[in-house]
Amino acid sequence: MWHTANMVIMEQMDKARILVADDDKEIAGAIEKLLVREGYEVIKAFNGMEALDALVANQVQLIVLDIMMPKLDGLSTMMKIRDSKNIPVILLSAKSEDSDKILGLSMGADDYITKPFNPQELVARVRSQLRRYLQLGDKDSANQIAKLIVGGLCLDAEKAELMVEGEPVKLTAKEFKILEFLMRNAGCVFSAEQIYERVWQESAYSVENTVMVHIRRIREKIEINPKEPKYLKVVWGIGYKIEKL
Amino acid sequence: MATKLRSFSRSRLTKFIAFTLVVISIIVFLLELLDADKKNLSMESLYVENYDESQLFENEIRWAFNEAIELMENRVDIINAELSYLYYITNGEKTYSNAALSKILENEKYHYSYSGGKWNGERIYAIYDQVYYGENYAIDIAFTEEHMQQKQVYWDESKTELTHTLIIIGAAIVIALAGIIYLMVVTGRNSEDNEIHLTQYTDRIYSDIGLGIFIFTLMLWGWAVNSMVYYYRFYSYNEINNIEMQFVNVVIAIITGITTIICGLFLLSFVRKMKAKKLLKHSLLYAILIGFSHFIKSFFDDSRYEHYPLTKSLNRRQVIFTVSSGFMVFITFVFMVGAFHSLIWLLPIMIEGLIIFWYFHENNKTFVEINQGFQSSIQEQMKSERMKVDLITNVSHDLKTPLTSIISYVDLLSKEDLPESAHDYVNILADKSARLKNIVSDLFDLAKSTSGNLSLDMERLDLVKLIEQTLGDMEDEIERSDIRIKTTLSELPINIYSDGKKLYRVFQNIIGNALKYSLLGTRVFIDMETVNNVVSVTIKNTASYDMDFTADDVLQRFVRGDASRSTEGSGLGLSIAESFTWACGGSFKVDIDGDLFKVRLEFPMMA
Repeated sequence: MWHTANMVIMEQMDKARILVADDDKEIAGAIEKLLVREGYEVIKAFNGMEALDALVANQVQLIVLDIMMPKLDGLSTMMKIRDSKNIPVILLSAKSEDSDKILGLSMGADDYITKPFNPQELVARVRSQLRRYLQLGDKDSANQIAKLIVGGLCLDAEKAELMVEGEPVKLTAKEFKILEFLMRNAGCVFSAEQIYERVWQESAYSVENTVMVHIRRIREKIEINPKEPKYLKVVWGIGYKIEKL
Repeated sequence: MATKLRSFSRSRLTKFIAFTLVVISIIVFLLELLDADKKNLSMESLYVENYDESQLFENEIRWAFNEAIELMENRVDIINAELSYLYYITNGEKTYSNAALSKILENEKYHYSYSGGKWNGERIYAIYDQVYYGENYAIDIAFTEEHMQQKQVYWDESKTELTHTLIIIGAAIVIALAGIIYLMVVTGRNSEDNEIHLTQYTDRIYSDIGLGIFIFTLMLWGWAVNSMVYYYRFYSYNEINNIEMQFVNVVIAIITGITTIICGLFLLSFVRKMKAKKLLKHSLLYAILIGFSHFIKSFFDDSRYEHYPLTKSLNRRQVIFTVSSGFMVFITFVFMVGAFHSLIWLLPIMIEGLIIFWYFHENNKTFVEINQGFQSSIQEQMKSERMKVDLITNVSHDLKTPLTSIISYVDLLSKEDLPESAHDYVNILADKSARLKNIVSDLFDLAKSTSGNLSLDMERLDLVKLIEQTLGDMEDEIERSDIRIKTTLSELPINIYSDGKKLYRVFQNIIGNALKYSLLGTRVFIDMETVNNVVSVTIKNTASYDMDFTADDVLQRFVRGDASRSTEGSGLGLSIAESFTWACGGSFKVDIDGDLFKVRLEFPMMA
């Protein structure tokens, strides 16, 4: 199914070179094998300094960077990389606190994966970041106006089409309306009642469950890991929102 | 060189010699002084060359005139006495003389006269300027040349002898002073080091007792010497023969020597103690005061409260202080009323002063001790807190890293072309490593929250909505479980101040637990009620097994409903729920009633 959408990009992606930096050699090796199996080229580094050296010597399209590394830690390495390069950086860390994630992302990371990670999730996130990075500039800007874009989500209201990371995803009518409503107001939180009233056009009474079920289904379709959603988030005790990216 | 000088100047022998010299000098000084006194030498002879110019001669003239006048007025009878001068006195009626007027006038040089109210003769005017005997009196006094020569010889002898004595006295004073200063400087020091060494003899006597002996010896000596000198003077020197004189001198020398030795030893002892800064401390009075002060201190100090806890010792001290102070006030009052003038009432006031001093002093020590204990326990606590955080972080990292490898390689393995049975094994590995991952994750969530290191994101949220959202999120699980959930939630929003994500975990765990351990076909009840601005949520389910544990047991780490521990889950669900609830500002209670398992959560509502 990956080869239906954008052959050119896929070809580019298959050749993409990824730098994996982790001081644990087995983990670096496992990531290498996972990515090589997906058709990527992988360079390994075992500390921050090696990672920087490897970046100078090679043309790299994405970096998977462990935070806790000797010599130069992941965050410092990332800051050095950000001085000159705009390539996607996925941070990898055993630190699972929200505050750690926020710190990493605010310092310039594009994604954050906690150890121990699901190998398939890692691959999916790498693919997602690469697609966005390589697609950049390919988009027809005139085309963009009618479309709602949030991160890797691209919703065409006229054609009733949804592309996730460049791949079409099928939604039911209600799901599409909910997503459209939330994407138009990205960053705002809406309660289940508000969503119901807008989408169903009926007055809401005890609809929490209905909306929640729809939200869950949408998440299963658009999120890499529905348990840790990137786009469609539940604000517990308040409502739902599409994260503004 | 310096060491040589030091070892010489500080040697015992040098000190002994110096001390002996001082003693001898003082004896010599005293004896010479007495000798000079005894010989009745005139100090004037030292600076007046000739006798006839001296004050002594003037006194002789005056004496002669007085005697003549007294003779004239019949007050004395000196006619027969052998006189050192010639006189002729008349008042017009009577005339007295021991020589013819012509003979008197022969001695031109030492002739002094009074006639017609006027004085005549060399120097005489100065003497009798103010004295007036009347117009009738005519007095002529003359000293013979022979007498004057005799006097001059005596005058010269006196000068020689006095000069001699003064030189000896001066030398004695110089030697004594030099010796004393030297001894004061070196006393207490020896040639080996620069420390002050106190002796085993005089220095062991209390300073005030030493001072008493010192003063008493001096007084005794003063009295003895004085009485002996008085003895000399009483019997005019001439009447004492030479042997007696020598004996008295020897006695005086011995007494003075002993006195000098005793006083000298004590003086040096004082100097040593002063150098060692022990003069006042090493005194009987001080020892008595300190002893008394320590006696009072013993009522308040640690020795009395050794086996007491600190606060109890404070309390005891307070009791003793209050009682003893009250007693002292009473005694003071009694003394003041009874004997105000004797000032004895000052004594209890002073004792009270000591009591107050020691009470506060010892109390302060206890406070300091308590404070130190407090400080160190806080530090200990902070340290252990830090260590706990470090431990969690490190263990977390150390567990997660190999787990990451395991999961990754199991995944790689599952993609390999393996025989059917190997594939089954790999699937089991994948399953179990995923479960291990959940357990580790739960374990660290729990560790963080129980150690108080949970980072919270508190905000205003609707508890009703949160429960509905959670149920919606768990829809699939609920449908799969064959157990229905019956909710009785508030129609109105119930706003509380909490961390939504954490509370979601709480309800997810409790409801998940209820689904897992409920009897098939039964219902789970979620009820909500608000009382006095407190919202309480009760989740009830009917257990599918015998609950042979208590409500407390179930909250213990890793305790699970099924003893066999075969079902999935970390066994930490309820512990995490409890811990998170408390962290989020709520309360968590488990109740077991037969087969009914009840969890009750309470949160304060926001206005």
